[in-house]
Amino acid sequence: MGSTSYQRSIWIGDGNFDCGNVTNSNNIVNNLRVTNRNNTVNVNNKIIADANPEIMQWLSPLNPRRRHQDVRTDRLDGVGNWLLETNEFREWRSREGGAEKAVLFCCGDPGVGKTYLT
Amino acid sequence: MIDDLCDAPCEEEIAIAMFYCDFSGQQEQTTTDIVGAILKQLLVRGEVLEHVQKAYRKAKREVGGRGLRLPDMVQMLKQAVAMLPQVFICIDALDECPPKHLLGLLRSIKDILRESLKTRVFLTGRPQVEAEITGSFITGLTVPIVSKTHDIHIYLESKLEMDPEPMAMSVGLRADILRIIPERISEMCASASTVPTPCMILY
Repeated sequence: MGSTSYQRSIWIGDGNFDCGNVTNSNNIVNNLRVTNRNNTVNVNNKIIADANPEIMQWLSPLNPRRRHQDVRTDRLDGVGNWLLETNEFREWRSREGGAEKAVLFCCGDPGVGKTYLT
Repeated sequence: MIDDLCDAPCEEEIAIAMFYCDFSGQQEQTTTDIVGAILKQLLVRGEVLEHVQKAYRKAKREVGGRGLRLPDMVQMLKQAVAMLPQVFICIDALDECPPKHLLGLLRSIKDILRESLKTRVFLTGRPQVEAEITGSFITGLTVPIVSKTHDIHIYLESKLEMDPEPMAMSVGLRADILRIIPERISEMCASASTVPTPCMILY
């Protein structure tokens, strides 16, 4: 099988995500966005074709992607951006902190917007 | 945060898996199924998928299709993570994970991190699970989340824009809503932070 090229800013999945210009919406591979230096994503079609719904069900009946899409839909632009500017987030994201900073825990009371930060 | 990871320029591939714990789904959200749901999202490379397919075929031959146990699932996830350049695992609302599954989930994540220095884990939860989380990972970063005035403004403006009867709203009332509500919420947050909670007593 050859590979299919996608432009950057494309979710690879079943097309439920509205994140870019999907040029091939064959499905099953879930929730991955890959980028590289050239902002191009290459997906091996064999991976997509072989992803078996039975295997997916065997691994887990849970489907967190649906919930994620609901959260994305409800989230307002700009809300929670402050988190991305914190030193903690930057250290966690950049991997500079090494294994000691591999976990970032956002702790807050009910209703402060933790889910929308995700 | 996930959108930010996706949109940021990046020199190598990243794989993102997320999970949202939910009170209403506590019966179904066992540790094994949560770890399995994370693994499902990482079947993005041929070698990862082949590895899982092999395990599936083997399980299917045994006793008409044997289910997976947590150690098997964690082992498969560890192997999947090792095959990927960098993995981000995001789990929301750990306080909504049943206590009997929470420690198993945290232990599983710790197990994965022990073998994969490039994996990053993002967790959210209420203060009552902070002790379990900080106890499980010892090192890590904690960010206290409070309602920010800026975020409240964005929310209120969005709601006001959707007002089905905008002509009924005077300019003065609109200004009051945008001024008073953020002030009151800030006061509530400030006063709440001065009341010792059980979580604070633990420390």
